[in-house]
Amino acid sequence: MKARSLGALALLALIVALTPLLVRYPTLEAQMLISGLLALGFSFLLGQMGFLSFGQATFNGIGAYAAALALLHWHVPLVLLLAIGILAGTLSALVVGVLSIQGVGVYAVMLTFALNEMAYFSAFQLKGITGGDNGLRGLIRPDLFGFSLSSSLTYYYLVAVVFVLAVYVVLRIIDSPFGHVLRAIRENEQRAKAIGYEVRHFKIAAFALSGAISGLAGALYALLYQFVPLEAIDFNTSTNIVIMGLLGGVGSPFGPILGAAIYTLLANFLSEVWARWPLVLGVIFCCIVLFLRGGLWELGPLALRRIRHLGGGNVAADSKPL
Amino acid sequence: MLQTRNLSKRFGAHTAVQSVDLAVHEGTLHSIIGPNGAGKTTLFNLLSGDLQPTEGEIFFKGQPITRLDSARRSRLGIGRSFQRTNIFPQLSVFENVRIAAQSRSTASFDLWHPASSLGAVSQRAGEVLREIGLHERAEQLARELAGGDQRLLELAIALATDPVLLLFDEPSQGLSPEDAKRLMARIRALAARYTIVLIEHNVNLAMELSNEITVMHFGSVLARGTPAEIRSHQGVRDAYLGRRG
Ligand SMILES: Nc1ncnc2c1ncn2[C@@H]1O[C@H](COP(=O)(O)OP(=O)(O)OP(=O)(O)O)[C@@H](O)[C@H]1O
Ligand SMILES: [Mg+2]
Repeated sequence: MKARSLGALALLALIVALTPLLVRYPTLEAQMLISGLLALGFSFLLGQMGFLSFGQATFNGIGAYAAALALLHWHVPLVLLLAIGILAGTLSALVVGVLSIQGVGVYAVMLTFALNEMAYFSAFQLKGITGGDNGLRGLIRPDLFGFSLSSSLTYYYLVAVVFVLAVYVVLRIIDSPFGHVLRAIRENEQRAKAIGYEVRHFKIAAFALSGAISGLAGALYALLYQFVPLEAIDFNTSTNIVIMGLLGGVGSPFGPILGAAIYTLLANFLSEVWARWPLVLGVIFCCIVLFLRGGLWELGPLALRRIRHLGGGNVAADSKPL
Repeated sequence: MLQTRNLSKRFGAHTAVQSVDLAVHEGTLHSIIGPNGAGKTTLFNLLSGDLQPTEGEIFFKGQPITRLDSARRSRLGIGRSFQRTNIFPQLSVFENVRIAAQSRSTASFDLWHPASSLGAVSQRAGEVLREIGLHERAEQLARELAGGDQRLLELAIALATDPVLLLFDEPSQGLSPEDAKRLMARIRALAARYTIVLIEHNVNLAMELSNEITVMHFGSVLARGTPAEIRSHQGVRDAYLGRRG
């Protein structure tokens, strides 16, 4: 992995470790990290492979339900619950991936959306399993190897560790031979085929990875609120994930994490003082789409470039994505 | 090495390639010439698997490959370049070639190790860049290259997949006359090591370089033979060469 990515990861880990000590909102902060994972799963597909998925809540919801059901019915230990979330997210993403990459362009996007709607209505109808619109209640967060996670601060730190590990894994994947193939597909799918890559297999594998991250987020979410609302698999959630990703910028894995943090903060605080807060979000979003295509994360390199430019440094070297 | 039998491609009512029987022999440089719209690129798309033929069959080293897609044909050893520059624009020049070389490695599903740790792949990419003369541009983004250099990169990507058969579709298109000459010298050097099929607009250049020539006209083969035979072929002179004086 590049030294720059590793440095950014270390800084992120430090921020994540210190935040709840400085500002005590551990539940909100855990939510920020979980949203960060969802946005990361989304941006992995869009930023690396160039695939716009409007159905990420499918993987989140199925991961959350799977982990919650395993806990309710079998009292599965915590680490396994996370594994079940990952597995369920992966499997659902394999199905969605295989089906939606049949579509071309906007039709592929519509397929991710349509499949999300189907998953949502299934969850809505299967009241006996998912609780329907009442949600899945009665979860009790289990201990971790005998260590109680009942306080929201201790649970935050579990989420934080899992989050940092997940970001590390994504950074490694992005830098791997596989990650390089995804970017070649993003840049020019026809040529990627012409030099011998089975593009379909790479796309499906990328979906599986995105689903794994999202399913993990789903399991963490279920255990955070000890409850899975129908909202977890709702198309609205997918839209919010898209907004978080684009807000922060999908070019670097740190972009969506930033976007999710900002989005979650706005959603939490603005919604308390002003019911029409999405209006503010809408304005910010439009500004970014119109003037800052790389998302807020681009502001960093942009500012750096300005400074270097003043100092007469090299501009082009910085424009490469992480 | 490569054969087609009765190969045809129709786009609706329009027949772009009509009953083409082509035989490319190992170790030769075989040029395909013909006026605009003769169906040369369409024929290449059929050979590389970018298009499926309406009719007919294709054999590579004696094996039928008609139903294989372009990725499979690439892995069998058929490399191609495109008439319209078809590169990875936002990746560096080095990465454009490196990713092509990586396609020959079994490590492409490795999610864990850095791509830069594939030493043989990076080394191969470096060799190809030096051979093509782009090594000084390696760190630039492909889209920032000048048009002529992008044409070279187009060839470098094809070469990096270590093919046995190379299909070059008008590689000198858009180059200045000097650059075109230099490029042709490179292709002549490559012809010592690879079997090459070349689509070339400049008939004299094609005549100079090739062992064999196929002339296409309205989708069909009008003539085939050595450069000398083609030069004296009356039909070719009437249909094609004559017009150019
Ligand atoms: N995808 C397509 N759909 C419909 N018609 C096509 C398609 N591709 C090519 N054609 C038509 O087929 C004919 C042959 O085109 P092709 O590109 O193969 O010619 P060419 O010999 O390569 O010409 P040039 O010298 O201009 O490159 C043309 O009339 C073209 O318009
Ligand atoms: Mg052509």
